[in-house]
Amino acid sequence: MRRRTYLQVAATLGAAGLAGCSASGAGNPDVVLSEPDREFDSSDLPYPAWGERLPDVTLPAPLADREVALRSVDRPQLLTFFYSHCNSVCPVLISALRNVQTHALNEGYGDEVAFHPTTFDPERDDADRLRTYGEEMNVDLAAGNWRFLRPASIGRAEEVVGEQFGVSFERTHPEGMDMYMFAHAALTLLVNADGYVERAYREKQPDPETMTADLETVRNG
Amino acid sequence: MNRRRLLTALAGLGLTGGSLLAVSQGLPGGSDGLSVRVETVDAAGSEAGQLSLPVRGQPVTVVDLFATWCAPCSEQMEALGAVHREYGDRAAFVSVTNERVGGTLTRADIREWWQRHDGNWTVGLDPESDLMAALGADGLPYLAVVDRSGTVHWEHAGLVEAATLRDRLDRHLEA
Repeated sequence: MRRRTYLQVAATLGAAGLAGCSASGAGNPDVVLSEPDREFDSSDLPYPAWGERLPDVTLPAPLADREVALRSVDRPQLLTFFYSHCNSVCPVLISALRNVQTHALNEGYGDEVAFHPTTFDPERDDADRLRTYGEEMNVDLAAGNWRFLRPASIGRAEEVVGEQFGVSFERTHPEGMDMYMFAHAALTLLVNADGYVERAYREKQPDPETMTADLETVRNG
Repeated sequence: MNRRRLLTALAGLGLTGGSLLAVSQGLPGGSDGLSVRVETVDAAGSEAGQLSLPVRGQPVTVVDLFATWCAPCSEQMEALGAVHREYGDRAAFVSVTNERVGGTLTRADIREWWQRHDGNWTVGLDPESDLMAALGADGLPYLAVVDRSGTVHWEHAGLVEAATLRDRLDRHLEA
């Protein structure tokens, strides 16, 4: 079966499942997507996962000169955690998010979704650096739906990203480099307009097509 | 390499279950190897259209996954260009970005990037990351040597020197 066909069938099955069942999200009324196929419960995981509410966190969005209260975002949002000096995993995560943003703008639903990539390196990722990085990554910063979030201090990054979001990160000092880097986990979250996690993507290379399809289901839910 | 062996080999690269799922979705059922269609871009050495990978009529296709934001991908172009000059008559070369065109990125931007890096072979688009998923690529640049049946004989994440790529091509062109 071709992949696209598979996704369409999966989407259709999902819709049929909802139509035949009074509760959405296969028993969880807070979410639209059904529980992912896995061998553990969300409560066993260190990060907010399927069906769980986002932590009640407010973070500065330095390029927008405002703060974002994540639970108060009234549309579906995608979050990921990164640092801009990263050469390997983070640009792939940001690029995947950027591809979803471009899909949203191309297809005319740019105002119905928010993107909140959050740095855990506030020391280096200031407003200027984040703006430059966004431009390099071909993010449409003027679209109004993409806000880089930056915890105000190293301690706050540990508290929010490390503890509340369960994304571990640790400084490293690679040989031959004159700057610090991080060993870190990869996590991208799709959150619905009510602030509940629909999907936690753990891949280092999350598939933008899967995210786009999941997002569409959540938007229509 | 059959599909199961390909999946096993990719699993050996340390992919997560999620990536493997994407890989199995990327390979059409019943197929033995890579089979992905990409849109090609009008650029130096490249015509606008559609292209199936692996490239038909060529014993070997060199697949290069890149992105315009990826600094090491820029660096990779020098070695690729050198090897292309030597092997371009015996092997197909295709560079593909999974960046979705739109917003602040246009086909003209990709064309300009291509020209700036002296690209002179086919350059394509993979906006839904089908090719990335099929190869199980979890970083860029990413190079793969694929034979005419779609079997991936070699793949590598990160910068590759010209000598390494030459060696890999020689092995399969002589075989």
